[in-house]
Parts: sequence; structure tokens; C-alpha cells
Amino acid sequence: MLPTSLDEAVEALAASPAAVPVAGGTDLMEAVNAGRLRPAALIGLGRITELRGWRYEDGGTAVLGAGLTLARMDRPDFAALIPALADAARTAGPPQTRNVGTLGGNIATAAPAGDTLPVLAALEASVTLARPGATREVPVSHLLTGLDPMRPGELLTWVRVPLLNAPQVFLKATGRSGPSRATASVALVLDPARRAVRCAVGAVAPVPLRPLEAEAWVAGCIDWDARGEEGVPAIDPAASAAFGEYVATACVPDGYGADAASGLAVEGPTAVALRLRRTVAVLARRALGRALK
Amino acid sequence: MTNHPVHPVDERPCASYTLRVNGFERPVTDAWIGESLLYVLRERLGLAGAKNGCEQGECGACSVQVDGQLVAGCLVPAALAADSEISTVEGLSAGGAASDVQQALADSGAVQCGYCTPGMAMAVHDLLQRNHRPSEVEARQALCGNLCRCTGYRSALAAVQTVADARSAALLEAEEAAAEVAASAEPAEPAEPVQVQAESEVPDLPVYQDAWTETAAAGEVPVFGNDDSGWIVAQPFEAPPVYDAPQAYAASQDFEAAQPFEDVPPFEGTPMPGPDQSAGGYQPLPTAAGTGVGVGVVPPQGYPGYDPTAYGPGTVYAAGATYEPTPAHGTSAPGAPFEGTPAHGTPYEPTPAHGTPYGTPAHGTPAQGTGYPGYPDQQYAGAPYEGAGYEGTPYDRTSYDGVGYDGTVYEPAPAAPYDAASAHGLRLPEDDHA
Repeated sequence: MLPTSLDEAVEALAASPAAVPVAGGTDLMEAVNAGRLRPAALIGLGRITELRGWRYEDGGTAVLGAGLTLARMDRPDFAALIPALADAARTAGPPQTRNVGTLGGNIATAAPAGDTLPVLAALEASVTLARPGATREVPVSHLLTGLDPMRPGELLTWVRVPLLNAPQVFLKATGRSGPSRATASVALVLDPARRAVRCAVGAVAPVPLRPLEAEAWVAGCIDWDARGEEGVPAIDPAASAAFGEYVATACVPDGYGADAASGLAVEGPTAVALRLRRTVAVLARRALGRALK
Repeated sequence: MTNHPVHPVDERPCASYTLRVNGFERPVTDAWIGESLLYVLRERLGLAGAKNGCEQGECGACSVQVDGQLVAGCLVPAALAADSEISTVEGLSAGGAASDVQQALADSGAVQCGYCTPGMAMAVHDLLQRNHRPSEVEARQALCGNLCRCTGYRSALAAVQTVADARSAALLEAEEAAAEVAASAEPAEPAEPVQVQAESEVPDLPVYQDAWTETAAAGEVPVFGNDDSGWIVAQPFEAPPVYDAPQAYAASQDFEAAQPFEDVPPFEGTPMPGPDQSAGGYQPLPTAAGTGVGVGVVPPQGYPGYDPTAYGPGTVYAAGATYEPTPAHGTSAPGAPFEGTPAHGTPYEPTPAHGTPYGTPAHGTPAQGTGYPGYPDQQYAGAPYEGAGYEGTPYDRTSYDGVGYDGTVYEPAPAAPYDAASAHGLRLPEDDHA
């Protein structure tokens, strides 16, 4: 019921695969309260203290516990480590939610508007799934897209994030001023060692999207040697704007929001698609501008 | 979580557990495991203080503390909160008397229909536990999860400042009383003024320092930097050196021997080096102890940058003193009500209006930020903020005054001055049609 160690939790889950592991419970209880879910049993993960922190591994990797709360990720020490993830955690919700909501829960729920997901996709993080006596490593993108889904009886334990020591930005557009769900979010990460830009767009599709062609194109437009120097623009503003449009067009299809049931053929992008593209384009352009500032 | 198959079960799995609510053990027997903490508190334990607003964690009316953390009671499975310390709004009012937070909320008019008030009281209580002197921005960020459709939050924010002022004043009084007791306890030694200051200085420092390091360590309330550099942390408190009181006393006794003053030339017409020599004015040489004027008035605490009035008793946390840790915009006078700052705690930076500042006209302004990084030399000067007209509610009613919006979404919006900066700094097309 309330295991205090990882091994206990994995054993308990293996003993009753129908049980639902609960970390923060914010998404689970919302479904239970609405009558969409009737859990057969609950396994509370809140007492597993080893999952609530993080550690470092050689080769510049941070191993984050799945039980790391969003409020903890908001703190300065973590924000110095992975700033985009801290930004995403800060805007994820009100304090009441962030105090209990966890990184692992965000991944396991895989809500379309999950704020940490585009950041993890852009960082190319991977997760560790544990079952009794074995673990396996799965990239977050594979997990989210269903290429390699979580199997029954598996527990999400660790999230491996490469430490890039480079600017990374998370921007989010919301419909109201307070904390709320994203209408679109963009995570952009610079990888100066490989001279690459990695970008992910969240909340416009069931999973975060990576505009790989736009990334490769804009990486060639950046003056990597001039990056960080005073007064020297690392990228042409026109290229930055074009990158925004590129990302938006890649991530929002023409038929976005079209009513498929009406049977009417839609010519060109719908109004909803155009509006969302505009939002995404602005977010992506600004994210690039901030990262290169 | 939902990736795990949930087999439909006919029976309702139940559990019995014990909740520790406000210091009392409350057994719960045969409760369905899917019951939320809010439900158990209200329906099984009879603690109806927390209200059921939305059951989705949106409204904050069900806020309670679990293990000292503010949480939404409707989103906590009660069975998993067993053996945790739960405190509810009933625990605030010990013995039936309203706590200072509750009283301040009532006095400032933050209670109208009252449905959000228990959650609001818990949120304010939680905020003041973690942060003894919250700025307005921090208070707004702490209350952003509590929806209130009656009051407009301004009175709730005033209540936060009221309680913070009252608590710090009470703390100061207690300290002064303790200092008086300590001073009267040792009347045998004739106390020199310098020594008294040194003694009263030492117990004061850890208190403020504690309040500050706690804030910084909590780190819940980072503020976005004006220079668009992402975000900055609350300025760490520069802890003054801790003075060993006897040492300071000794130094003040024989300041002839004190090192910094040996270099001060005497006054007797000795020609001073320096450009001011011809002017005839004596320019005191800067010493390590400060300006070096008048040897006798230099306190033993005199290190560079030491301001003897800054930390003295009676000056820092006196009610009405303008000691602003993180400078909050718009709060010029502490007694004045918080007029017109944007919702949900953005630093009040004039956020650019539509289409005006940038090369590429766009609807949005940077998320969570202020200036636009790409075009730093085109910083938007900003329409000056008219405090009187701003109602504190975001842009639903205030944007686009005077300029009809033609409904064309993708045209650059007319450069109409709108007098309210959006709260997150991000304006989306849908905002204009809200």
C-alpha cells in the first residue's frame, strides 16, 4: 500500500498488476473524482525517498527520481542544472498541484499538455522502467509515442537527462493569466558540442513533436563561433523568424481542428490551424532568440 | 498511471486507516480507496471547513496542508495520506478564536460569499509560514491557485501584508522586551552606549537572517528578471559578519589602538595630500571603518558598507517601514493599498502592446518575460501605467479601448495602447476575443 523502498514497490506492483501506482495523484484523483477511473488498488509511491531526489552520473548525465516534485524542480539549485525543466515545472500549475505533482507522474500520465514532456523530448531524455529483478531503458520519445510503451507491472523509476551546459528555454502559451494548461509550448535546447539545436513543441498534438528538419536547417544558420559575444548577432533575425514559421508549419497540419465528421473537404489550413501556427511560430522564434542571446 | 490496465472490479475495494488531523488521531474504517482526502474530511470526519469547489484541483477551495505542504484536498487519495500530518482550516482557529490570518481576511473585506475563504486562509497561512515578508509578487504567486469570484483578490493581498506587518511588529516587540530583560538582568556593569548597541545587535541578526535564508532556500517564488535573462532568485541576504561582542567591546574601549585609525592623519594643520589641498577643506581619508570622520563615532561594527541604522532595533521591521526585500512594483507606500499590479505576479514591466515594438508584428509578447531579446535596442518604452484606472483584473475589459477590433486575427493588431500589462506577459489571439 505504502512501500518505503523501490524494491518493495516493484514487488507490490508485480504481485497485483491491476494496482495503480500513485505518486502525486493529481491526475489520478481528477479521473477518479470524475468517475472515469475506479482503481482496484493503490500503491502510494510518496514514501520512497530515494526517488524524490536526483544524482549525477559520469559523462554529464543527471538521473532524476520519478518522485521529484514539480515544486522541488522549481528551486534554484535544480534550475541551475536544467533550466528549461525548471521553467516548465514552475508554470505547470498552482502551488497546490506543484507541491505533490511529480516528474514521473507527468511522464506516466502523458497528458497532451504535460509541461515537462516537450522539455524531456528536446533534451532527449530516457527513462528507466523497473520490474522485479530487471530494468530497461527507454527513450522518453519512444515511451510517449507508443513505440515502446510501458508494460503491465512496470514502474517508472528514473529519468536520465543529459547535462548540456548550454542555454535552454521553455516557453508556454496559456489561455489565461494564472497557471493553466498550455495551448502550445516550445522547448528549445542548444547543444554547442554537436552544434545542434533541439526543439520540441508540446500541447499541439497528443505527444510532443520534434521538427527535425527545421532544427537541422536552423543549426546551419547559426554562427556558433559568435554565440555569446557582445554585439554580434548569432543568427540573422530573418532566419530566426523563418525558423518559427518552419516549426509551426511542421507541427500544425493544415487540417488541424477540422471537423472530420462534417465531411466537408477543407481547402488550405483551417482558421484554427493558422492561429495555432502563429502562436507556435512566435514561441519558437522567441525561444531561439533567448537561447542565442 | 493510466498505462496500467485497470480491470473492472465489481466490489469496491475498501481500506481502514488512521488520519492525523490537526494533531488528533482520526480513525477511518471501511472507506473506499478512491475517496479523496476532501471527501473523508468532510463526510466521514465532519470537518467541513475545506470546501468542494471543482474536484479537479482548479479552484483551491479545498486547500489543506499535508506534511506541511499546501495541497488540494480533492486530489489526494485519503488512504495514502495515512500517517501524514494533516492540518485543515479548523486547526488555524485554536479554541474557536479566529487566527490572525482569518481575522485579517475578514477585516480587509476578503470574505464575501465565503466559499473560497477557507482555502484562501490556508494558502495565506502556508505562505507566511514559508516566507515571513512576502512581496506582493510572491503573495500573488502563492494565491494563484485560489479562485475567488467575488473580491478580486486585492483585499486578500492586503490581508497578507497586514498579517506580515503585524507578525513582524510583534516579533520586534518581543525581541525588545527580551533585550530589556537581558539588560536589566546585569545592572552591575555600567553599560556604555556602544556596548549596548553591540549586545542588542547580535541577537537581532539571526532572526532576519533566518527569515531570509529560509525564503531563499524555499525557492518557491523566483521572480523573472527584467533583463529577460530567464529568472532571478530572490537576492540572498548578505549576512553581516557576526561580531563577537566582547571583542567589539574591547575594540571600542581602546580605539586608539584600533588599526584603521592609525592612518588617519591628525587634524592639526598637517598638509593633506590630494587635490583638495588648495581648497583648504579637510577631506577625510576613507578607512576600512567607513568614512573615518570623527574617530569616536565609528561603531565597532564599522565594516565597509555597514549602515548602523539598517539593522538596528526599531528601524527595520517597524510597521510602516519601507523595507522591501524584493522590490515590488507599485507598492510605493506600505500603508497604501496595492493599486493596480497585474494579476499573478509578474514584475510590473510595461509589456509591449500588440504590434508596436517588434520588427515582426505579432500578437504575443514574450512568455513570462518582459523585454524582447531579439531586438534589444527596440525596447518598448511602455505606456505609463495609470494606477487609478487599473482594476487589477486582467485584460478582459481593458484592452483595445477606443480602437475597434475588426476581428481579423492574423493582421497585426492596431497599436492601441492598452493600459494593463498581461499577467504572464503573453498575449494570445484568443485573449482579444475573450
